[in-house]
Amino acid sequence: MRHEVKKISRMVDELTTLFLKEDTNELDFKIVITKEKCIIKIVDYHTNFDDAYIEQLSKRLNSQRQREIEEYYWQLAGETDEDDEITLICAMVDSAIVEKKDGNLVLELTRLYTS
Amino acid sequence: MIYSNTYEEKELQKEGKQLILSVFPLVFMVFGIAYGLANQEVLSEGLIAIFYSPTTLLTDFLKVGGVGATFINAALVGLFNIYLLRRFEMRINGLLIAAIFTVIGFSFFGKNILNILPIYLGGYLYARWQGIAMKNIILIIMFSTALAPIVSEITFGGYFDRGFNYFMGILIGTLIGFIIVPLSSHMLKFHDGYNLYNIGFTAGIVGTVFTSLLRNFKINITPVNILDTNQHITIIVMLYLLFTYLIVMGYKINDRGFKEYKNILKYRGRTITDFTELVGYGITFMNMGIMGILSTSLVLSLGGIVNGPVIAGILTIVGFGAFGKHPKNCLPIVIGVLFGGFIFGYDFTSTGFIISVLFSTTIAPIAGSFGPIIGILAGVLHLTLVTNVGVIHGGINLYNNGFAGGLVAGFLIPIIDAFKKGE
Repeated sequence: MRHEVKKISRMVDELTTLFLKEDTNELDFKIVITKEKCIIKIVDYHTNFDDAYIEQLSKRLNSQRQREIEEYYWQLAGETDEDDEITLICAMVDSAIVEKKDGNLVLELTRLYTS
Repeated sequence: MIYSNTYEEKELQKEGKQLILSVFPLVFMVFGIAYGLANQEVLSEGLIAIFYSPTTLLTDFLKVGGVGATFINAALVGLFNIYLLRRFEMRINGLLIAAIFTVIGFSFFGKNILNILPIYLGGYLYARWQGIAMKNIILIIMFSTALAPIVSEITFGGYFDRGFNYFMGILIGTLIGFIIVPLSSHMLKFHDGYNLYNIGFTAGIVGTVFTSLLRNFKINITPVNILDTNQHITIIVMLYLLFTYLIVMGYKINDRGFKEYKNILKYRGRTITDFTELVGYGITFMNMGIMGILSTSLVLSLGGIVNGPVIAGILTIVGFGAFGKHPKNCLPIVIGVLFGGFIFGYDFTSTGFIISVLFSTTIAPIAGSFGPIIGILAGVLHLTLVTNVGVIHGGINLYNNGFAGGLVAGFLIPIIDAFKKGE
């Protein structure tokens, strides 16, 4: 995968901006890379997002990966704090677990390395 | 705050969406053949004239090859690209719809079924070189056919001996296809996605470099002005019918579409705003149809001729009605261009001015994000730039407004930020 590390970095950048700006002031990231996939685990502490919003976010993150969008636009991720690029993040993710645990928003995003 | 609307609509299979898109080139094909036969146009001669034209800005194929041949060319280009989408099993998203309509639109002035092929070849070689799937870059390649005139200009501009000219045209077209993918991705950062025709900005940079190189070899590419000045009522009626068809299809998919249409107006339109995902296909198709009717009506109310470049402008707006544009974020930009035209004394009926008005909506996200006043200002600035940057690339970049729009956005956004207070 070309620029894979940079793409992951930009995804983290975008999500950091998004959650710190929109929701929380405490955030954890863990990134695990294997030969087959990359997993980004996020804990957004003391979330203010409601259940409807979280469900919607989960639905969008689990929509089909769009590699053509990723190839074209990945450098936009994390580029500005005026607007979000959640559509781009959704296009760069194959599947996601999004749930609320003990008042925290917990996400696990998976990117597969098969084209 | 990020949000998308909850919406309910009829499930539409990929084939159904492709069929809706295919209606445009299919209707164009039937219309082209019927018009050609009814008006005794020799369609083969018209197509050959289009293929042999250098096609630099502004070369209106309606003038070069006649109405019938031009519509057949647009249909062929459209069907070829839709075939590629089927071949690569692409999901029909907003960007893809925008790409299809843009490519079809510019087949009325600049792109033909032959001069786009070397760029696809270059894209294919890039994908092979990088070991990535062609489907990952096909959209960028579709948009990058904005530089197809350079293939025609090199091949048929009379610069090289017969035989060698074909080799050089294909070589340069292939080279462009090879380099455009990394360039287009990189150029986004200049305008932060506020210019919807990003490939236009990229192609402007590439075109400037190529034209400058060629000028060193005493090859001086200059813009031309070959325009059809006849108003074809049948074309106008057909466009209105096609846009109405989109609205009807949208309504059939989402029968609450009219009621929920206001939801689309909430979006700023900055890249990536994929309406198919955010508000669904029903409202997206309705928005495309509404944008088509509004832009065609605007052209007619200004007294403009609906010729090749204008049809390209209208169809591009329709396409980007699926990817960022709606009446609310386009209107301030259009007002800005009209205001600028009034102040600077432009002829409102000229094709050059009309297409500036239409394509200026490339920077609709500026109005969507920063409000109507900034939008109007951006429109004025766009007009001043777009009338001056074409000469830099000699007219080989068909998306000249995308080039100007990128400059406007890259220039304005940091300045707006400088005046903002707070976070």
